[in-house]
Amino acid sequence: MTNHWCDLQNSDCILIIGSNAAENHPISFKWVTKAMEENGATLISVDPRLTRSSSKADIYAAMRSGTDIAFVGGMIRWVLKDMEQNPGRYNMTYVREYTNAAFLIDPEFKGAPDLDGKFSGFSPGDADPNFGKYDKSTWTWQKDQNGIPLKDPTLQDPNCVFQLLKKQFERYDPETVCGVTGTDLEIYLQVCETYAHRSGPRGRSGTIMYAMGTTQHTHGTQNIRSYSILQLLLGNIGVAGGGINALRGEANVQGSTDHCLLYHILPGYLAPPNAAQPMLQDHLDAKLAGFATFDPKSASWWLNYPKYFVSLLKSWYGDNATEANDFGYEWLPKLNPGTNYSHIPLFEAMAKGDIKGLFCWGQNPAVGGPNSNAERGALKNLDWLVSVDLWETETGAFWQDPAAGGAAGIQTEVFALPAAAAYEKEGSVVNSGRWSQWRWQAVDALGEALPDLDIIKELMVELVDLYEKDGGAVPDPITKLRWKGWYDANPLPRGADSLVDLVSREINGWAETTIKNDDGSVRYDEGKLMGTFGHLMADGSTSSSNWLYTQSYNETDGNRQKWRDNVDYHPAGIGLYSKWSWCWPINRRIIYNRASVDLDGNPWDEEDFVIRWTGPEGNWEGDVPDGGWAPMNMEGTRYPFIMKPEGFAHIFGPGRTDGPFPEHYEPMESPLNPHPFSGTQNNPAITIWRPDEFGTPDEYPIVATTYRVTEHWQAGAMTRNMPWLVELMPEMFIEMSVELAAELGINNAEVVTIESKRGSIQAAAIITKRFKPFTIMGKTVHQIGMPWHWGFKGLSVGDSANKLTPHVGDANTTIPEYKAFLVRVKKGGVE
Amino acid sequence: MSRAVLVDLTRCIGCRSCQVACKSWNDNPAEQTKCLGAYDNPPSFSADTWTVVQFNEVEQADRLQWVFAKRQCMHCEHPGCVAVCTVGALTKTPEGPVVYEASRCIGCRYCQYGCPFGVPSFEWDKPLGLIRKCTFCVDRAEEGYETACVKACPTDALTMGTRHEMISEAHRRINARPHKYHGHIYGEKEAGGTSWLYISPVPFEELGFPMLDGEPMDYASSVIMNATPVTLAAAVGVLSGLYWLTKKKSQAAEEEG
Repeated sequence: MTNHWCDLQNSDCILIIGSNAAENHPISFKWVTKAMEENGATLISVDPRLTRSSSKADIYAAMRSGTDIAFVGGMIRWVLKDMEQNPGRYNMTYVREYTNAAFLIDPEFKGAPDLDGKFSGFSPGDADPNFGKYDKSTWTWQKDQNGIPLKDPTLQDPNCVFQLLKKQFERYDPETVCGVTGTDLEIYLQVCETYAHRSGPRGRSGTIMYAMGTTQHTHGTQNIRSYSILQLLLGNIGVAGGGINALRGEANVQGSTDHCLLYHILPGYLAPPNAAQPMLQDHLDAKLAGFATFDPKSASWWLNYPKYFVSLLKSWYGDNATEANDFGYEWLPKLNPGTNYSHIPLFEAMAKGDIKGLFCWGQNPAVGGPNSNAERGALKNLDWLVSVDLWETETGAFWQDPAAGGAAGIQTEVFALPAAAAYEKEGSVVNSGRWSQWRWQAVDALGEALPDLDIIKELMVELVDLYEKDGGAVPDPITKLRWKGWYDANPLPRGADSLVDLVSREINGWAETTIKNDDGSVRYDEGKLMGTFGHLMADGSTSSSNWLYTQSYNETDGNRQKWRDNVDYHPAGIGLYSKWSWCWPINRRIIYNRASVDLDGNPWDEEDFVIRWTGPEGNWEGDVPDGGWAPMNMEGTRYPFIMKPEGFAHIFGPGRTDGPFPEHYEPMESPLNPHPFSGTQNNPAITIWRPDEFGTPDEYPIVATTYRVTEHWQAGAMTRNMPWLVELMPEMFIEMSVELAAELGINNAEVVTIESKRGSIQAAAIITKRFKPFTIMGKTVHQIGMPWHWGFKGLSVGDSANKLTPHVGDANTTIPEYKAFLVRVKKGGVE
Repeated sequence: MSRAVLVDLTRCIGCRSCQVACKSWNDNPAEQTKCLGAYDNPPSFSADTWTVVQFNEVEQADRLQWVFAKRQCMHCEHPGCVAVCTVGALTKTPEGPVVYEASRCIGCRYCQYGCPFGVPSFEWDKPLGLIRKCTFCVDRAEEGYETACVKACPTDALTMGTRHEMISEAHRRINARPHKYHGHIYGEKEAGGTSWLYISPVPFEELGFPMLDGEPMDYASSVIMNATPVTLAAAVGVLSGLYWLTKKKSQAAEEEG
């Protein structure tokens, strides 16, 4: 989230799209309710079916799964047209001064309207010319002789971003949009007008709450881009009650991303090195080239990258990391350039036998992974599998799968390591609003269960021992880690009173030597906690295993993640609660907040301001500002979007693999082919692994989607073993419209079979008015939905919806397309 | 001061935290359930289930609304169950709760017929069954805590206070956003007034709430009790027999189904 949960209360208009927040983030509705009752906010819910969230909405708009870009692209078009008619209703200063709307783009750039749905630079792949890669060299702006982007502040130049955006979405007229999304035209226009007019004017704010309904598509990243562009046009980023708010699907998924759960990042969103960067300087040079700026008003914060990177190496390798050995850079694994190591390709590699061992740590891909028949099959090729979990999951017990014909022929050795549950251990949990909150242990873990941290510590100490004793092909990356003699020392180093305390201090970082100020006085004694990431160095004198968290643990007041003061000290009373837990970065609760003020530092919204400049000799008041520089009209200022090299928010976003603007493509399986926006049916920049495993609408005419319910949790191990929750949601089910049920002769609660190209499952039917058939380009299209919580283990067992979902993912992230695919439905159980 | 809970259905998101909190606090076991073609489960009150959230699909003026309504003992101001209880096992306390003293109960189940809301549930599975129902968490109240369900509610759809405060609060909310509410406060007058009060976006008959006038249930019940004790006893006997048969039948149907 750019903002945070409590800040939802400040919104004037809340758009929930790609999320069922009431269902999956019930506490968010404490703040949504507050916004509606006390702030007069309007709530809009866009979803394929009327959900628990929609039940509270002022406006509910139905939308066929997988058509977000059409829906939001049409909203962007509506806003751009209205801006021409009623510029006074919008914050044009924000658009002109804080976004790259005025940037002049390379005249060689061609967009989707010119190239039938593609952008310039596309080269088709060998296997299928519909899918390939982009050369992004034309996706760039023109620069003056000093290297500063050329701009047209009138926004009239046909090559400026604003005009190109208009051209991009000119095709997205309301009639065509509704033909594709299936939304009622009148309701759609009401959504456009309401969101624009409630949140567009200066002093008003609108927020977008989104989740997996947005991301889990072959164009998921561009779905979010479309939301961001809309928010930037309406001046909604950086302000109270605004933002682009990803509701994370698990209590600590923000923390796991911050600390590099995924392969494409190192902690603090640093980049993993690749094999084309053999030396540290090669890596740093490659990164710095992308952050270079020639504009003295641009902070380009990532120019600090080397300080954070070297401090990370120092944190991992300790005294073994020296300037002479590149701080241990060579010990880091290197990615092969262009190779994708995300979930889907990992399982494809297992299926081919290229990967022989797997640690599944609190993850249950046999239920949660796409095309779970295929993924369960891939597990059989492993030599060994370690499942670290609270229960024996379907993944740990894949060889017991009753549908797969038993364990005969499976040679995989499976180890189950029992893990402690959240309340059985101490540590930090980082919520969607970037608050790192300490959680104390309530009860002891059962049996031999251990906290994850203890499991990994013991495992690694043992591994280091083995490497030291027996050697190995490449022992140094393991043996040089600051691990043995550190995590298992007694007493623990640097004043830590427990392992989790030590790690928390280590994340914050230390002075690894005595650090002096320019005048020779001591700034930090060796071993003292670093006070701010502004003091981190690239010379090996500091360590931090995540620069974003520097300041979370402090010499003067200890572990700030333990802060529990629930008084709101913000002068405007906007509910920042900045002494409750600690928030990255440097306890800034609303990021990009320097966009919440005008060029003189006066807030757009006087009443609910985030920060404001308090006079000529003054300072910023309110939230921690995004850099303490003076307002834009003063000397020594910097542009507000400090993480972008040029300092401006990206309406034109050249960083993505699949286009600088979002463009509508159909899901890989779609009832609509061709679609009216272009002749490019699917996102052309995605990777296809299993070309023969896609169904067509003649065989599989029904659109399907998957989701969660309040009563169950993810792949279900934690809740399908809990009698009070099983009682509430006892069985796998499918929701369908009254009309579809009548067509198929299906009665309420009876068992039905759902089939896709990849598998078939059975479930109990819930026939409901909350699903309605769509009219898509004049034809009736049905949609159904299913929860994906069930599997064959636990107290409540049932078929896994992911037996039906395809092994294909987004062009940028490869997140699987769980949310839109094709099925057919039959009366009766699986034969 | 008599305490009360205001249930604001415009705030309820149907998460059923209240249902789980009730089971958790009272240590009531889960029931064996199955999908009945809706989210509702367990389908009704029972000896082990003292509160249920009902999921109502209500269509009004072409607009479909999904309205969630938590149901439990209403803790009437003049409870029918107390009036018909011949042994004083049920009493209305001045603090609000209608409480049950198991040691006095003879298992006659009159209270089931005295209640217009179908709340008291009998332990059919036990040889010497007792009546079970929502206690208004009297044990928590003694320690100064709100009820388990109020504590668990994430959206403050349940608010606790004195009955007088809750009625004022209900009026305040309806007046502040009249377009969001069907104006009626259910429980202010019904059955002579109840300790659980409801405000709703749709009329209460759409939610299956019994349409009652303002006549106190203890008055209605005592009239019947005084006038026709024998008839009632007979009726109770017949009706409970029927109930037992119906329950058996539905159980059998479920097992076959």
